[in-house]
This record gives sequence, structure tokens and C-alpha cells, in this order.
Amino acid sequence: MSTEVPVLKVESLTLEYPAGGGWLRALDNVSFEIGKGRALGLVGESGSGKSTTALAVLGLLASEARIPGGRILFGGRSLLDLAAEERRLLRGERISMVFQDPFTSLNPAIQVGRQIAEPLVLHRALSDGDAAIEARRLLEEVGIPRPEDVARAYPHQLSGGMKQRALIATALACSPELLVLDEPTTALDVTIEAQILDLLERLRRDRGLSMLYITHNLGVVARICDDVCVLYAGRVVESGPTSDVLYAPKHPYTKGLLASLPRVAERQLRLAPIPGRFPDLASPPSGCIFHPRCHFVVERCKGEPPVLSGIGHAVSCWRAEELADTPWPAPEAQARGARSAAHPDAAPLVEMKDLAKQYEMGGVFDNLRFDRSGGFPLRFDPPRVRAVDGVTLDIAPGEVLGLVGESGCGKSTLGRMLVRLIEPSDGEVRILGEDFGRLSGKALHEHRRIAQIIFQNPDSSLNPRKTVGEIVARPLTLFGLARGNELDAKVAALLDLVRLPSSYASRYPHQLSGGEKQRVGIARALATEPRFIVCDEAVSALDVSVQAYVLNVLAELRDRLNVAYLFISHDLSVIAHIADRVAVMYRGAIVEEGPAAEVLKPPFHPYTEALLSAIPEVGRSPGSSAGRGRIRLRGDVVEKDGLIGGCRFQHRCPRKIGKLCETEAPPWRIASPAHRIACHIPLEDLRRADAVRLPQEA
Amino acid sequence: MAALPLTEATAAYRRAWPASFVAGGTIFGLVVLAALFGPLVAPFPYDQMDIMARMTPPDATHWLGTDEFGRDVLSRLLYGARLSLLMGLGATFVSLLVGVPLGLTAGYKGGRIDESIMRAIDLVISVPPILMGLLLLSLSTPNVWKTAFAVGIIYVPIMARLTRAVTLEIAREEFVLAARARGERLWYILAAEILPNAWPPIIVEAALRVTFAIMLGAALSFLGLGVQPPSSDWGLMIAEARPFIDTAPWVALAPGALLCITVIAVNLVGDGLREILDPRLRKGRG
Repeated sequence: MSTEVPVLKVESLTLEYPAGGGWLRALDNVSFEIGKGRALGLVGESGSGKSTTALAVLGLLASEARIPGGRILFGGRSLLDLAAEERRLLRGERISMVFQDPFTSLNPAIQVGRQIAEPLVLHRALSDGDAAIEARRLLEEVGIPRPEDVARAYPHQLSGGMKQRALIATALACSPELLVLDEPTTALDVTIEAQILDLLERLRRDRGLSMLYITHNLGVVARICDDVCVLYAGRVVESGPTSDVLYAPKHPYTKGLLASLPRVAERQLRLAPIPGRFPDLASPPSGCIFHPRCHFVVERCKGEPPVLSGIGHAVSCWRAEELADTPWPAPEAQARGARSAAHPDAAPLVEMKDLAKQYEMGGVFDNLRFDRSGGFPLRFDPPRVRAVDGVTLDIAPGEVLGLVGESGCGKSTLGRMLVRLIEPSDGEVRILGEDFGRLSGKALHEHRRIAQIIFQNPDSSLNPRKTVGEIVARPLTLFGLARGNELDAKVAALLDLVRLPSSYASRYPHQLSGGEKQRVGIARALATEPRFIVCDEAVSALDVSVQAYVLNVLAELRDRLNVAYLFISHDLSVIAHIADRVAVMYRGAIVEEGPAAEVLKPPFHPYTEALLSAIPEVGRSPGSSAGRGRIRLRGDVVEKDGLIGGCRFQHRCPRKIGKLCETEAPPWRIASPAHRIACHIPLEDLRRADAVRLPQEA
Repeated sequence: MAALPLTEATAAYRRAWPASFVAGGTIFGLVVLAALFGPLVAPFPYDQMDIMARMTPPDATHWLGTDEFGRDVLSRLLYGARLSLLMGLGATFVSLLVGVPLGLTAGYKGGRIDESIMRAIDLVISVPPILMGLLLLSLSTPNVWKTAFAVGIIYVPIMARLTRAVTLEIAREEFVLAARARGERLWYILAAEILPNAWPPIIVEAALRVTFAIMLGAALSFLGLGVQPPSSDWGLMIAEARPFIDTAPWVALAPGALLCITVIAVNLVGDGLREILDPRLRKGRG
């Protein structure tokens, strides 16, 4: 709040898109400013208009959009009054952008070094040779080892984290004053995300960069932003310094968002979701746009739209003052302790023994080789990848086993083997004592009733050509569980289980929101009355408030129906929230397994420790004291290096003890009867995992 | 949960048929009527020659003129409708009937089954269409039905490859995995889960194939392996009129224009069908 001109100032920006004859107001009176060297977090759920704001700042809006009001000032110059050509020159030189998906943002046909050099040639008129040298320097600055090699590499040869670093290097090429980052770490694993966030923090400090950081993740905002601006349906509902907004939220929506977040340290019984659904911007509700979903709504909210007011920490709510200390109400809690003590004596429902899956790389013709050394000249010898490598785990009836790991660790392959979507190459799966992996014909068909699966992507898990009713009814007719009138009643009952009205049966998937689709997927899985469901990243694609709702539905179903889940997720906070037991997977094998409460406390496997440390979570000390206790893993998951000796985590382990880790497979350390860790480091040393500072347990 | 408003207008819209379907259907219906009743209303027999009135431009007696033998073009068009439709639709039907299941199976099953089907199809593609037609038709005495069938077989690879490409994408969708996880049979997954989502590009391609089939049928007829002169298949009419295109353009233009109209109608029907089959397109325009 100094007197100097802010780098970026957005004043009462209003933006509309044509829709069905009228205009749809995507942004309404959005204002914020970013000072030199400061980072502003623009937070909101999907559809809140955060990416639209970024595109407006960059001048990359679709041509049909119109801006009926407001100004965007960049260092005092009004961007909206500039000619298209002038804005183009500004873009990439003084304002740069980093997009969300590093996997599609680089051109796969051009060497990385040339892509970074491109803006230098364009904006700075450097010669190709000078630009190449500068590109290498930039790669070094963003922390890429061996920049010469990387500059010559093509994008597919780099890992996700490296690509994102390269993209940041491209954005930095012309030393911009403002960096716009649109969800730059959302597509990355949490340990890689932590590295990128560290990098951004360093760049901001070293270069005095200003950042507009767009994200849905409040933890990331807490970690790197000075100020935050919360968007809801194109309106700013609250803005101010990060510490004020996230630790003393005033707007009910911000409070709701924070209450929806699952947290590692607080394994509360039920999350507090925000009810209702996102408003239709083509016909927004009158008054406060949030009032249909607000717990604290009064008459006034329905009539008059509130104004953003307050100096520093501003909020747009009529009742902000009187509600200052009232938290978002949590749903009535049920006693979890009673049921979560999963009957340890009961025979396990699912048993995995040395379960393994190998893949052969390439097609039939790629791997035929002429062998000239004698004998039959044609050889078929494809390279193999071990996606899952000897996993032994049990799941008890009614138990939730959380399986956590980064992308490519084999967790989805494991889950799919349990429902025979993928045939195991080795080992066995027993369900209710039967060798599920070797069943066939009628017996297999009957057994499929018991084990079901819920998928990640709500947009792809329902057949768009079928109504919700048809989708949910199909398993019932397939297994002869209902017919005729009974069928409709059963479908209605199933929809009711996932808290959807029975009228939804006649809708098509495209008429539902993401969370509703996911609940239809759950209803379909429940139709066969399974004893066991694999939840494969079942809530990962959802916004936090919706995610909280679906998590609650899943938890409630487990309590009511005593279904067991294998809950697969990359998000340790979600796992910590819902799981009774947790298994941590790394490169195809389990490295730590035990009751949730024990796995989340020392002694840790070094990998678990790093995962916990990498989670950006609201409530962790932001900024100041964070640097010291944080653990960072080197590099990415090493792929394609066939069979390795020793510990599979050795390449990235911050606590590697020496030769032993490279030559011998680690033994199981038994921390408690139910808690085991695969590591060479003795338990006593693992217990001294003081590097991770978890917030106080509730 | 706030309900998504299913307004009266939307509901009415969903009951209404798309305009393209109605327009295309009407034109196509007329062509079909011509095919059925053409011979009854034709002013002249299709093969009646009038040496005195060779290549006369359109006039009151011969509305669309006459060809090089003095045969009435309009009458020949009406008679030819049946043969041309048979050729176009029959061949397309055959290519769909064989190509779509092959493509679905190859795309869904993958691996060796995919490899075998696709290599077999490559074999068919490697033979030029006309030669393939000659091969298929030289086995027995040619007639229109056999030609339509042969043209259909020639187009199987295109249908199969297209279907396979679409299937590859859909087979990765999670609703297909869900069907497998509950143990659905192969035919159900292909017919009830994948095919309804694979239709749109297939319909568009099929509508195009109708034209190509008529033209390829004409080429085969020209070689004496199909419609036998003096029969008046549209494609054959165009082919026969080619030498006189400068002096008597109407002889080629009339069947050409009719072919064009038919094709547009078939395409409109295809578009409409796509819309009718897709719940996403039915919604939200009202």
C-alpha cells in the first residue's frame, strides 16, 4: 500500500460474453492491484472467472467478449486503450504468462532451447547465437541441471517438472515486470509442485517480479502470495493480505471454502461443504450472488447486492461485521471412533499377495529383432516395465484403505487389478477367500458384483447418450436384481443414497454438474450392492466445496452400508481425511503401511515424510519460518530404468545412507503391530523425523 | 440442489425435429418417390430413341432435352433414380454393415485382433478400387445388385478405419471401463456403450459415401460390370455424356444436378440424425 504506481491495477473490470441472444456477465466490477515485487493470488473455483481475468490482462480474450466498463492499468498505462499491435509487443516482453498444463504448452516438434530463445529474437532482436546462449543461462536460473543437454532436448524427453521450469524460463526471457501464472502447478505431483513453488519464490525475491497467481488451491496461495483476492461467479467477494483473508476470513464463501478443505492434521468427522451449485451466470440470482448457497442469508441479501468495502481487508457481505467470529457451520458430527476401529479379527475382505503387473513396451513389430548370432533369426524380446511390483495388502470389511503415491507409481494399475480391469501378471487377489484373479465365466460374473470401481473424471465416467436412470438401472438388470416397477423404485433409492432427487433419472449427464455426475457414478457402483469399491482418484477432479460434499457422501455410505474402499489418491490430505489405514506407494511397491494416525506421525518412511512436507496447506506457517523445516526431493520419478537393485527410492531419498541403499532391498521395519516401513534406516533414527513440522493435532 | 430448469421451450424443442432433418428428408423422400413411381410418370420410355431429335436442348416436349441418341433425358433420370439409389444406398449399407463391426472390434480389442483386422483391410486397400470391382464382379455374371455389393466391399476399409479411430478414443472413456468392471459382454459394450457415441463421424462419412458409391458404380457400369446400357443409371448417364459436354451440356448437367441435390439431401438427413441421436445437441438452443 505504498504511494508508488502499482505494476498492475485492475479497476472495476466488467466483462461479458454473448450467450443465447443476451450477454453473460463473466466478470462484474473486479478490482485489485499488484505492487512491485508482490504476489497476488486470484482464487476461485472453476467458473469463477479467474482465468478470464488473466486473459483480459494479457489481451488474449476471445474476440466476441466485450468490456463494457473498467480499466486495466499496467504501470499507469491503460491497456484497454492500446492498439492490438502495441499489446502484442507488451505481451511476452513486459507481461508474461505461464499456463497450466506443461504437457501441452511446449511445442513437441521444436527443441526446448529454441522455444526459450524465440521471445528473445522477437522482442529483443538478439541474434540466434546470442539468444541460444541466453536461453541456456535462463535454464540454469530456473534450476535445470545440465542446461546444454536440456536446450537440445525435445519436450517429450523432459519430465513434467522440467517442462514447467522450461516454460517459466520462456516467460522470464525478456525480464518481464509481471508474471501471470494460471494454475502452474495443478498438473504436477506434490513434491514437484513444492520445487516449482520454491523456484517462484526465489525468482520473485531475486528479480523483484510481480506475480498474478491464479489457482483454486488455497494452500498454494497461503504458501507464496502476499495478497489474495477471492472470486465467486465473476465477483470479488473478499480481498486483502493473505494472512488476514485465510486466517480470519470475513466472507461466508471464503469461510465455506476453508471449511471444505480436508487437512492432514485435523481428521475431522465430516467436512463442511457449501450446499447448492454454482449460479447460472446467464440469469444470476438477485442481490448477493452467493445468497442461494449461504448459511447466513437474510432478507436483505436477496434484494440488494452488497458492495466490496473495507480498507486493506475488503469484503462484500452485508453481515461481515456481525458474523466476524462465526465459522461456517459443520454438519452434525457422528461418532467416528465407534466404527473406525475396523474389526481387526474379522477375516480380510480383500487380500493381495505379491501382486504384480509387467507391461511390454511397444507393439508386436517394434520388438521383433533379427538375431544374427545363430539359431532362429527372429527374436521377440520387448523391454518390460514393472508397473506394480509385488504388493501384499489386506482390506478388512468396512475398512477404508488409502493408497497414496505420485503419478506413475502404479496405484491405478493396482486398483484396476482388484476389479480385473487389468489382468495381474503375477501374484493373487482374493476376495472373500476366493481367488478372484483366476475366476472365469459365471463365477467371475457373480464376483464382479462384490467389487466395483468409481473413476476420476466425472465427464468421462458416464455415457453421454444415456439418461441417469438408464445408467444406474443397467447394473440392476445385468445382475437380475430388479425389473419392471421395482426397477424404478430401486433407481430412485440409489439416487437417494447419493442425495440426488429421483427426478434426475430422466436427465442426461451433460445436464448435471461435476459433483452430481460423480455421485451418479457412485450410485452406479453401489447398484450391485458391492462389499468393496475401488475409488480411483474419485474426488480429484472436483472443486473443493464439491469434493467435500462427495467425500461426505462416501464416508456416510461406508458407515451405513459397511462397504470397504480402496481409496486411491495423490492427495495426502484427502487420504488422511477418509482413510482408516494408509499405504504409501512408490514406483510399484508399498514403502509404508499402517493405521492412518500412525502413518501421519513419525516414524516416517523418508518418502512419506517428504510428501507430508510438500503439501501446501492453509495452516502451515506461511513465509517466514517455512524454509528451514521443509524437505525437498531431488528430481522427478526416474522412469524406464528397468530393474534396479536396492531401494527403489534411492535416487531421490534425502536420507540415503550409502552403498547399502543401492545394493540391497530394504527390510520391513515394524514400527507397531500394524505399522511397517520399508527402509534401511533403523526405527530409532526414523522416529527422529524432526524435519517435518506438522501443526498441532486437534 | 437447485434444479436445472427444463423449461417448456426446451422441452418443446427436444420434441421438435431438427430443420435439417426435415428439409433433407423431404427432398430425399421426393427422390425416393421418383424412384418408385418414375416409370409411371415418365413422358417417354427410357430407351426410346428419336434419331430426328438428337441432342435437342430443353423444350416443351423434352423438358430436359435429349441425348446423343435422341432419348428423353427427363425420362431417363426418372427411370435411373431406382438404380442410382440402389447403388448409392445399397453400397453404403453394405460398407456400414461390414465395416462398422470390424472397426469396433479392432479398436476395442486392440492387440493381435486389431493387428489382424487392420492388416487384412490394408490388403483390400492395396488393390485399386476399379480393379477390386473387376475382381469381385468377374466371378459371375454382373447385375446391379452385385455391383452395389462390390462397391460396398470396396468401401469397407474406409468405414472400418474410421470406426476404429473413433472407437480407440471412446474405449478409453471411464464409462467403458465401468461396463467392463461390472462384467458386460463384448457385444453390449460395443453396441450399447461405444456405438451410440461413435455415430456422428460415421454418419457424416456414410452420407458422403453415397455419392462416391454412385460414381464408382457408374465407372464399373461403364466397364460393363453393372448397369447395362441402355439402362439409365445417373452415374452412367454422366459418364456417357462426357464427350458431348461442350455441345449438349444439359445431358450431363441434369443427372449431375440431381445427384448433387440427392447428396445434399442425404447429408442434411445425416446432420439431422446426428442431432437427434445426441442429447447434448438437442438441448439449450431454445
